[in-house]
Amino acid sequence: MNATRRQVLMFAGGSAVGVMFTPAPWRLITDTALWSENWPGIPAPPRGEIHTRFTNCSICTAGCAVRARCVGDQPVELAGVAGHPISRGALCPFGIVGHHLPYIPARLKEGPVGQAAAAIAGGLAKCGPAEFVVTLDLQPGRTASWTYRRAMGALKNGRYIAPSVDAQVAVDLSKARTVLSFGVPVLDGWGTPGIVNAARAGFRLIQIDAVESRTASMADRWFRVRPNSEEVLAAALAGRISPAQAADATGLAVAEIAALAQELEQGGPVLVLGSSQLESTVGTVVARHETPVPGEWKKSAPVTDLASLPDRSVRVLLIDESMPGGYLQWSAIARKLVADNPVVVTFAASPEGYARHANYALPVAVYPEVSGDVPPAIDSVASTFRIASPLVSPPSGMVNPESFIATAAGLSTGDTLRERADAIHKSARGAVFTYADGQSQPLKDMKPDDFWKVLNAGGCWIDEPGAQTAAKLTFGTAARPPEEESDLPLAIVVARETASGIPLLSKVYRESNLRLAPGYVALNPACGLEDGSQAIFETLLGKATVGVTLDSGIPPGVAQVSATPALLDLCAAGARAKVVRS
Amino acid sequence: MDKQLIARGVSRCPALKFLLWIAPWVALFLFGLYAAALCLIKGLNQTNMDNRFAFGLWIFLDLTVIALGAGAFFTGFLLYILKLDELSSVINSAVVIGLVCYSGAIAVLMVDVGQPLRAWFTFWYPNVHSMLTEVTFCLSCYLTVLAIEYVPIVLRNRKLRQIPSLLVFEFELHKLIYVLAGVGTFLSFFHQGSLGGLYGVLRGRPFAFREGLGLWPSTFFLFILSAAAVGPSFILLTTWMVQIITRKRLVRPEVLQLLGRISGTLLSVYVLAKSVDTLVWINRTSPETGFQAWQYYSWKPFGSWILVAEIVVCGLVPALMLLMPKLRCRTGWLVTGAFLACMGVALNRFVLTVQTLALPTLSFDRFLDYTPSWQETATFLAVVAYGVLVYSFSFRYFQLFPQERELKLETPEVEESELVGRY
Amino acid sequence: MTSANKPIRAARYGMTIDLDRCNGCGACMLACAVENNVPPAHEAATDRKGLTWLRVYKVDNGEAYPGRRTAFVPVMCQHCGNETPCVHVCPQQAVDIDPATGVVGEMPQRCLGCRYCMAACPYHARYFNWWDPAWPLGMEKMLNPGVTPRMRGVVEKCNFCHGRWHAAKEAAAAAGKPDTPVEYTPACVEACPTGAIHFGDLNDPGSTVAKEAAEPGSFRLLEKLNTQPKVYYRSQKEWVRQVASAPRPSAAKEKDRG
Repeated sequence: MNATRRQVLMFAGGSAVGVMFTPAPWRLITDTALWSENWPGIPAPPRGEIHTRFTNCSICTAGCAVRARCVGDQPVELAGVAGHPISRGALCPFGIVGHHLPYIPARLKEGPVGQAAAAIAGGLAKCGPAEFVVTLDLQPGRTASWTYRRAMGALKNGRYIAPSVDAQVAVDLSKARTVLSFGVPVLDGWGTPGIVNAARAGFRLIQIDAVESRTASMADRWFRVRPNSEEVLAAALAGRISPAQAADATGLAVAEIAALAQELEQGGPVLVLGSSQLESTVGTVVARHETPVPGEWKKSAPVTDLASLPDRSVRVLLIDESMPGGYLQWSAIARKLVADNPVVVTFAASPEGYARHANYALPVAVYPEVSGDVPPAIDSVASTFRIASPLVSPPSGMVNPESFIATAAGLSTGDTLRERADAIHKSARGAVFTYADGQSQPLKDMKPDDFWKVLNAGGCWIDEPGAQTAAKLTFGTAARPPEEESDLPLAIVVARETASGIPLLSKVYRESNLRLAPGYVALNPACGLEDGSQAIFETLLGKATVGVTLDSGIPPGVAQVSATPALLDLCAAGARAKVVRS
Repeated sequence: MDKQLIARGVSRCPALKFLLWIAPWVALFLFGLYAAALCLIKGLNQTNMDNRFAFGLWIFLDLTVIALGAGAFFTGFLLYILKLDELSSVINSAVVIGLVCYSGAIAVLMVDVGQPLRAWFTFWYPNVHSMLTEVTFCLSCYLTVLAIEYVPIVLRNRKLRQIPSLLVFEFELHKLIYVLAGVGTFLSFFHQGSLGGLYGVLRGRPFAFREGLGLWPSTFFLFILSAAAVGPSFILLTTWMVQIITRKRLVRPEVLQLLGRISGTLLSVYVLAKSVDTLVWINRTSPETGFQAWQYYSWKPFGSWILVAEIVVCGLVPALMLLMPKLRCRTGWLVTGAFLACMGVALNRFVLTVQTLALPTLSFDRFLDYTPSWQETATFLAVVAYGVLVYSFSFRYFQLFPQERELKLETPEVEESELVGRY
Repeated sequence: MTSANKPIRAARYGMTIDLDRCNGCGACMLACAVENNVPPAHEAATDRKGLTWLRVYKVDNGEAYPGRRTAFVPVMCQHCGNETPCVHVCPQQAVDIDPATGVVGEMPQRCLGCRYCMAACPYHARYFNWWDPAWPLGMEKMLNPGVTPRMRGVVEKCNFCHGRWHAAKEAAAAAGKPDTPVEYTPACVEACPTGAIHFGDLNDPGSTVAKEAAEPGSFRLLEKLNTQPKVYYRSQKEWVRQVASAPRPSAAKEKDRG
């Protein structure tokens, strides 16, 4: 048939109108919205089978139990294990995002392993009679710590040093009616969140703090003292100096000090944290049994103190900073090193710690990639043994510091964690709590293989509680050197966040003003600087760039520093500083 | 060289001079386009708006130009529905201003939203409770009306008139003008009001929240009144400015004075209504939400001076200026009154947009401030440049002022520089 | 079947937050970000341009030491029940309130990004994606499959972990109980180490939240606005109740601002 142009046009026009009455064009229009919903660059969440795995968090010594929701092999969400006798299902903010630790952009991913090994061997060979090979362990009390001690013990001039911590003494918060804390962040990053929160209602917290820290703001009573005068107040409370003398140094009124002394007398039992001057009431402090170790391990180097080493005596220094832990000022370490080509090797995940100073920085696996045990926490009245079992595989090229140092020292080791577990099992003490079913059973009812399996699949061994004792706890305070003569205007108060570098922490650091980010200094608004601006932080030891946060809870004349290792290198205890516009 | 395109009986400056005039505006326009492109490509992080200042310079700009562009519908209403024939000498100019204002506002709105590709969702999934749905519908329809009203102005160009089909089309279109004017008035009434309703319904922002009649808060009616009041003032101002810049007489002074009188009358009604509304708000509406009115003005720089400025200095004062014949017949007073009236409306829109969002609502809020980024400012200036360009082209090639020819004939030999200040 | 004839009871999910327990640690904020695939901050982001579906604020009584007292107030979408401001103003119905749960839900796929809802919300509980989300390399593997990541230009907010509600609903349906309001736990409730946040069905008189909400020390933010929020705050301290519910910052903050 011959269609005329007119007919074709009419058909086309009619179809166009007709098709508007069908869903087709409208669906197509709706579908264009899809283009704007999923443009490239927006990641799609992974698909996979969802299951639960258990581990223990090794970001700090609280070692809270962790239930990980995993998609396929990847943990996507962490939560506590409800009903756990120690951690009570609580996780701190850092533990919540612990599974992000492997992906911190600044993470060390490679290092000169061969060269470091050669340098260590060379250093060992070159060691003179009065020179030492030292392992600095920033989180002592682990099974790996024993390996280091054994390795140093195997060397004739090996020494093992750790920040001074009394590992066998713990506090029993449940026995205290008053907790007197000298600057210790009891409610924020000190003990095990689950234990502290469970015991909180049972004690009155008196916080002695130079600034309105989070703990000070939540305490029942906060006494604001001048920075670094806490020990003076403690001395007055211990009767060693008069309240009037203490009032001068601390800035408190004599009546306040007297009232505090009376409160302590009437509010017993009293647990004292953060001062070496006052004794806690008997019952609030316990001496734990030591977590059992294989007998042959006891032949190892003793734990020594950095100060006991002579200056210029360390030829080889091996630093294990693979676990977030303490930090010793580099200047204190540097003077112990020999003058000519010491070998300093650090095992670190972050380039911000000793990697800034070391000759060789070797990358390590981090939680939750790595298997390792967590030492018992300060507020755990019983010794514990819990393994942080890996949830993901570490990237290739990571170094295991334990085996590396053992090899370097010529010590042959097997599966040290298994050996430790077997030693614990042999002791037949205590109970094992399994996370998967929330059940507890005595250790003596378990076979060694089952015990090992439970420890790795999510479980924890809890010893019998230790014996009560009275003791002076020196947690958190090193003996303060006398204040340096300086005309710098600000007294420094140092705070440390448990873990840093995790990008999601921007929620609490940058996208709100809830926590003070590492690398920031909090100042009183009268300081004249702008909130959020950059400034130069200067002490007698050097300068660094910091960010400024204004906080009216900081008194004038005081700077609260949220410290990175670089800032810790600048802030000796009792130091003073100046913060100026950059 | 474009003499063929310019209407007979009027003179326009040489083409080169015209190019020199539009060159900086073109440059500004292009720069602003670049800024807008940055915002579209990189996202709204290019602006200084944030989670507290969800609305900023652009929304303020949109609201202000839409209020100022209300002269288009209101003049059309007065001319075609109420038969005030003197206004036929400014209606074309008003339409162009309206077109420029509304198209500029919608263009900026497209940049202001996070997902411009989804702009059609409002038509597809409309929310009948939302004032913004109403605004979107009415603005789109009214822009279409304005475009249709602009077509005859274009078609009456000297060259285009020579095409018979276009001439016929324009003639037929002009028959619809009453319908268009009526529809335009109806649509404008609603969207001017809904723009006010945008803020008046915000019960979460007691600074802006108002009671009203039925669904409509009082700001609905106040916005309509203020837009109707200030539309003629803006036409007055722009006509006066064009006369100064082009050094021509374009309308009879009586027309400008009529515009001023209309503006003054409506402005006084508006000031009265606004004062009543403010008193009700201070004494009842705001305290009932737990917010005392005085606390809104305790944050610098938004002291109570801003309320006085809005209602008295830029409301009552220009209303009086424009109402008093002795003042109205002097150009200085007329133009100042019109200018103050426009400022008053701009201030009102600013207060409702920016001050509303700056004020804290919770005890842990802070009073925050906001300065637009250069990208925002450049985009804003691009709209101004766009307006100047479209108006300049329209003025040059289309007959915006029907009285221009006869006024030119009346005073053919007078030096143009003497014309300044005649009114 | 009798279940077909029984009317389904609508739930009204709500929260009670004990301000005397909250120590401002921020675990809830982080757990919320992990659960809901909220990206870390862009490098140019500040607290004014961030994405914190749940944000903990610090409040104080405005006095100087030694009278100064501080508390922490977590604020998320209050899921207003009466003439929900954001539901009314969204031009394309991208926000709706679910009558079965009382949860105010947001559809980022439909959001135009006009931010009118953000102007409407008095609790500042809504957040705009000023940037496209970016997770550091490798971290995108840890997204929660139950929640869609959003792109830039859309508004987002707390939805009482609606993904978890869906999962609980599916589990209930699989167990043969499709109709009853389900019990589930949002991420912030699970994460809070002090147990300050409780969650449940306010319509269930036996639930913890219903009982706590009815206590005399319980209050809601900006009650006089009559938005009927479903988040109740509790404190034994009078100053906390006054300051947290007050409609303006304290006098001291005004002095700071100067």
